[in-house]
Amino acid sequence: MIEFFNVSKKYPGGQVGLDEVDLKIEKGQLVFLTGASGAGKTTFLKLIYREETPSQGNILVNGRNVSSLPRNKVPYLRRTIGVVFQSFRLIPRKTIFENVAYLPRVLGFDFKTQKKLAYETLRQVGLAHRMNAFPRQLSGGEQQRVAIARALINQPEILLADEPTGNLDPELSEEILKVFLEINLRGTTVIFATHDRELISRIGRRVLTLDQGRLVDDRDPREDPLPLQPEEPEKVEVSP
Amino acid sequence: MTFLQALLYFTKEAAMNLIRGWKVSLLAILTIAVSLFLGGVFLLISGNLRLLIEGWEKESKLVVYLEDEVEPETRGRLTQELQASRWVSDVQTIDRESAELRFRTAFPSMADLLEGWEESPLPESLEVQLQSDPPPETAEIEAWIQELRKEPAVLMVDDDRDWLQQLETVVIVLEGMGTVLGGILLFTAIFTISSVIRLTAYLYRDEITVMRLVGATEFFIRGPFYMEGLFQGLAGSLLATGALFGAFRFADQGQDSPITSLLTSTFLPAGQVLLLIALGCGAGLIGAITSLHRESLASGEEEAEE
Repeated sequence: MIEFFNVSKKYPGGQVGLDEVDLKIEKGQLVFLTGASGAGKTTFLKLIYREETPSQGNILVNGRNVSSLPRNKVPYLRRTIGVVFQSFRLIPRKTIFENVAYLPRVLGFDFKTQKKLAYETLRQVGLAHRMNAFPRQLSGGEQQRVAIARALINQPEILLADEPTGNLDPELSEEILKVFLEINLRGTTVIFATHDRELISRIGRRVLTLDQGRLVDDRDPREDPLPLQPEEPEKVEVSP
Repeated sequence: MTFLQALLYFTKEAAMNLIRGWKVSLLAILTIAVSLFLGGVFLLISGNLRLLIEGWEKESKLVVYLEDEVEPETRGRLTQELQASRWVSDVQTIDRESAELRFRTAFPSMADLLEGWEESPLPESLEVQLQSDPPPETAEIEAWIQELRKEPAVLMVDDDRDWLQQLETVVIVLEGMGTVLGGILLFTAIFTISSVIRLTAYLYRDEITVMRLVGATEFFIRGPFYMEGLFQGLAGSLLATGALFGAFRFADQGQDSPITSLLTSTFLPAGQVLLLIALGCGAGLIGAITSLHRESLASGEEEAEE
């Protein structure tokens, strides 16, 4: 479970990341986080995995107050949270196996176990046959699936996705979204940040809308249908 | 992850970093090698000089020159008094003829100076060998020599220890110079290693960001860089020690001057060699630690995704 209690984040220079946000996300939910560029989506996610600390308020992740978590405890929190980015953040000089097996390696698992875990996780995203390839040899969609596999390898309780389909065409976006839905079906809490309203409307799950750091809307279309308001999709340059 | 597993991982990663960035690594290794080599040269010279002085101190003598017209009884009394002293191990009388013979042997080119004299111009003397074990207390023996100089039969007293003390001062100055020069160069080496490792960390910033995201601890992230610094320091110090030994052997084999032969009589003792290696490793580790403050590793993680 994730709880925000009156959370604000102000950056040096006065820029507002989040403004007095209160909410609760139950365990096993799939929640879409939406809003225009600069609305605070990334800040929201960064606060959960303690890349940022709030200027005000408290954040509880599975009952643990991450706002006051000592710096040396942050790695242990992150091992329970998977994070996927728009730009994939794969290491170009490492193979798919090496990219995915980072955490088992950090945890000191032997090579055989690392390989087994990487294989099983890559199989979930349909890429077990590409273990020895390098990221540059994969398509954008495949690279994102590798990034998802890396986030999933430790079976995290929470999966955060920051515009994971932002660099992908509609077909690949659909494909990636399906992967997230499957993961959510297995009980993982998923927070999926996107500005793609059409994608959100097709799935019909809870949507949190941010605007200039404020939570301006929190609705579940299954109870209260969301109006379709397509926005200009933003493009971010990413090197392969 | 056990400590041993972590150590193996750090070693492997550090070796890969060194191979990938071999040019900058070589620069760091050479910088540390040069600084330790120069420091080692000073240590070698001062160590050999110190050994030499210790040897000379054991053989140091007092030469008591006697007045021209000394009665045999006076000379006998003086000899007995000297022999009775607790600091003296032996007294030898050198008459004028023996003194002249020694002079001619030691300085054949100046033998002409002794020609034309009715009697040898060199004074009779008593050569006093001092106890070396235990060595006499400086203040006490100085007082005793002063008393000796007041004797009417004594022309002058020449104390070998006077110039040995001056030589010891030279050694202390040499050691000081070596320490200062070595220290400055070692500081330069630390700075170079620090820069090299900061550069490596910058090149790997994306990887470091990913490591942080998946929950790697700071120890796991920084370990390979610390090991890299340690390797550079170790390689530099081994190179310096090897070069120092090579230079020592070269000088030892081609010792055609007495100064070279005196200064290359023994190589550095094992303790000093270990000290040089420890200094190299320490410099490498300090360089790595100073380069990896949190901010230097955080450059990649603040990348905005929004």
